[in-house]
Formats: sequence, C-alpha cells, structure tokens
Amino acid sequence: MSHIITISTWQLLLALVFILLAQASSFFWHLGLNRDIAVGALRTFSQLFLMGYALTFILGFENVWLTLLVFAVMVVSAMFIVKGRVKEKQVPYIVPTFLTMFITYFITTLFVSGMIVGTTPWWEPRYFIPTGGMVIGNSMSAISIALERLFRDLRQQRELVEMKLSLGANYREASDDLFRNAVKAGMIPSINAMMGVGLVFIPGMMSGQVLAGTDPLIAVRYQIVVMFMLVGSTAVTSVVVMLIVRKRCFGSGEEILLTHR
Amino acid sequence: MNSDPIHPLLEIRELVFRYDGAPSPVFENLGFTVAAGQFILVRGVSGAGKSTLLRLVCRLNRPQSGSILFKGRNIDDLPPSELRSALGYVAQVPQMIDASVRENLLLPFSFAANRKKNVPGEEELRKMLDDFYLGDISPDQSAMKLSTGQKQRLAIMRAILQQPELLLLDEPTSALDTESAAMVFSIMEQLNVSKGMSMVTVTHTEYRPEKVVPVFYRLENRTLNLER
Repeated sequence: MSHIITISTWQLLLALVFILLAQASSFFWHLGLNRDIAVGALRTFSQLFLMGYALTFILGFENVWLTLLVFAVMVVSAMFIVKGRVKEKQVPYIVPTFLTMFITYFITTLFVSGMIVGTTPWWEPRYFIPTGGMVIGNSMSAISIALERLFRDLRQQRELVEMKLSLGANYREASDDLFRNAVKAGMIPSINAMMGVGLVFIPGMMSGQVLAGTDPLIAVRYQIVVMFMLVGSTAVTSVVVMLIVRKRCFGSGEEILLTHR
Repeated sequence: MNSDPIHPLLEIRELVFRYDGAPSPVFENLGFTVAAGQFILVRGVSGAGKSTLLRLVCRLNRPQSGSILFKGRNIDDLPPSELRSALGYVAQVPQMIDASVRENLLLPFSFAANRKKNVPGEEELRKMLDDFYLGDISPDQSAMKLSTGQKQRLAIMRAILQQPELLLLDEPTSALDTESAAMVFSIMEQLNVSKGMSMVTVTHTEYRPEKVVPVFYRLENRTLNLER
C-alpha cells in the first residue's frame, strides 16, 4: 500500500483537458466564464505550487516560530477573505473577529495536533499546518455566511427589533432570533458535510491519504477527527464572533447602529 | 421608577439632532416639557420630525447635543430597557411577531425589564379586545393575518398592557378609517381621564379631543411651539 505513483509534468498538463472542456462549455453556451476559468486555472496552478515549495521549506526547517508565523499568515489571509465577502462598513467587526478566529483556531489545532494525534513536538509542521489550514478554511466560510446573515437580517428586520426594544427588551432579547439564525446559517454546511461524508462524497483529506498509500482504516480515523474538529471549531468561532459583533451593532442606548444602505 | 412630584415627567432641553449625511438638522435647540397626566398633541407637516422626536425620547436615535430627562433623570443614565419599559411607544407602522394575538399582547412580559409587572389574565385581554373594537377576533388567531388597522389597535393595546408611565403614540390612526380613528382617540381620552395616563401623540390630523383638555404643540422650523 506504500507505492505512490507520481504525476509527471506531461501527465499534469494532460489534466488541462478538463479546463478545456469547461472553456468549451462556456464558449458554446455563452456562459461568459472563459476569463474566470482561465484565471482560476492559472491561480490554482501557481498558488498550489507556491504553497508546495513553502511547505517543503517549512517542513525541512522544523522551527516553532516559522510554523506559528505561517499559521498567523493563514489566519490573516482568511480575515481578508471574510472582509472581502462581508463588505460591512458601519460596524467595526474586523478586530474582534480576527482575534476570535486566531485564538479559537489555535486552540483547536493545538488540541488536535498535540493531544488527539499526539505529535511531538506539538507544533510538528507536517501535522500542525495542514490541520490549521482545514480549520481555518472551513470556519472562515461559516463566519462569512453568519456575518452576512446577521447584518442583512438586522437591516431588513430593523422595525421588528425596534418594536421589541420599545417594549422593554434589551438588545440580546430583541435580536435573539437573528443571532440564532445567523449562527445556524453558518453551521449548516459543516453539519451537512457530516451527514453526507462516506456516503455522498469522500473528503479531500481522506482521498489524499488513500492515494498516498495510507491504510483506508487509518485515513478514516483521521477523517473522523477532522470532521468533528471542523464542526466544533465552526460552532465555537461562529457563536463567539456573533456575540461580539451583535453587541457592536447596537449603540450605548441599545439603539441599532446599522442604517439602510 | 416611582412618580416624582418635583420633576416633570419628561423634559427636553436644547435638543439638536441631525441624521447622518443630512444637509440640515431636524431639531435645533428644541425644548419640551410633559407634566404627569397631560394629554399632548404634537402636530406638524410630513417630514417635520414628529416621529424622530418620539424616537429620541425612546433612545432609538441619539441626539448630537441637548438632554432629555425622564422624571428628572437624564435618559442616558438610565438602563435603556428600564427606560423603554416605563414608556409605551407605538410606532406608526405596527409590528407583530409571527405568533398568535395573545402571544403578541403578552410579548412585553417575556422581557426581563417587565418581569415584575402584573401579567394580564385571559379575562382582561378579552375585555380590552372588546374595548378596542376587536371583540370579533380570537386571542388564538395569528396576528399576521390581521388588517393593518387591527394591528395598529393591537399595538396600542400592547403598549397599554405594559403599564407605562408615559404613552408615546406615533400617528396612531394613520391606518384607520374615520370611524375606527374616532374610536381609538376616544379610548385614549378615556385612559387619560380614568387612569390619568400621560400621553404624547404626534399626528398630522386636525383631531380635537372631546373629553380631555389637551395641550397642542406644533413642530415647525426645527422646534416645538406651543399652540394657543
């Protein structure tokens, strides 16, 4: 099971057939996606190769600070992606979201890498960085969805929230439904993934391990840890971020600070 | 929040308010006083800031300067939910939660600030529905299916059930026909006469109360003027 078939440059270029098929579909059906497909393919190629070289360097270096620096860069990049998707200017959500993301992701990655997998040292880059990457990538999408939902609902249901405030509700009571709906919206993809895993799809990490020659039963154990880790970290990060950001949507008089766009 | 014989119920001093990005302020050095038991009608043209005035008293908007005192205390020093629990504010467009008429009427009592207040019983609810000419609707039916006029009356009922010390009504009859509007005004007058409930009503109508002696104000030129 340990024999790995490497992909040569020519074989890699052969995979471009799929991109050509996508380009042809876009061209014949006037989808207007030719440019996006080309840029996407180019970015996939360059970004992954860049990451491959970076990982080779970091794994060879075995330095705790370098590992933590890479982890921090990944969280900062995730924050920029969240900021790009959410586009909210009236509520200062970026700093608390970043801090929550960093702390939660770090603790989760530390727990999985150092305690469940039991690497020595705890920051072993071969485990710490890919684990962190999975946590960050998954939870980042959940936070974007939850933040967008919270801001949108608070704008759309402003009159309803103000009605509750007028009747003596505090800001938490007045926005409880919105808070819950935002967290749930962010978490649904992770929960759906747990439902379909193994039946509908084989996750990328498990597929990668099997392709690399790992015993499928070992790959399964890793995948279960990853699935649980993703749901847990997504839930904790989403709840904490939503609690902090919701508070920031209200002023000192518990008035709604978001105005209609 | 016990009644205070020394201070007026509500006092507004030198209030300045401007919406973000607006070229001119809505209010400039506005002053206003409400004594306990008063029945005040504020009139003004559309866009004069009548709704904004009530929103500022409830802290739903924040003034740039000036002060608003409720029973002698600056409202900025009061916990917002405690202040709003003592005020019965009804917005111009009535809002209902997606639940039954009963759940909507009892909604204020689910909030911590109102937990010490007496929750009205079934009999009281039905009597009030009758008083508001809503006797034909069941407390169990969905509030979302009511007409706007019915919702408006329900929203006023809900504010009254909250046992406020000052009732703030924003165009309470805007969605009602002439007959229903007269009924609502009559109920308000009755509340003022029988229970001494203080109220400030903003309206663009030329309504003149029959059972109470009102104080008329007109909102114009960014301030409130007493009408004589």
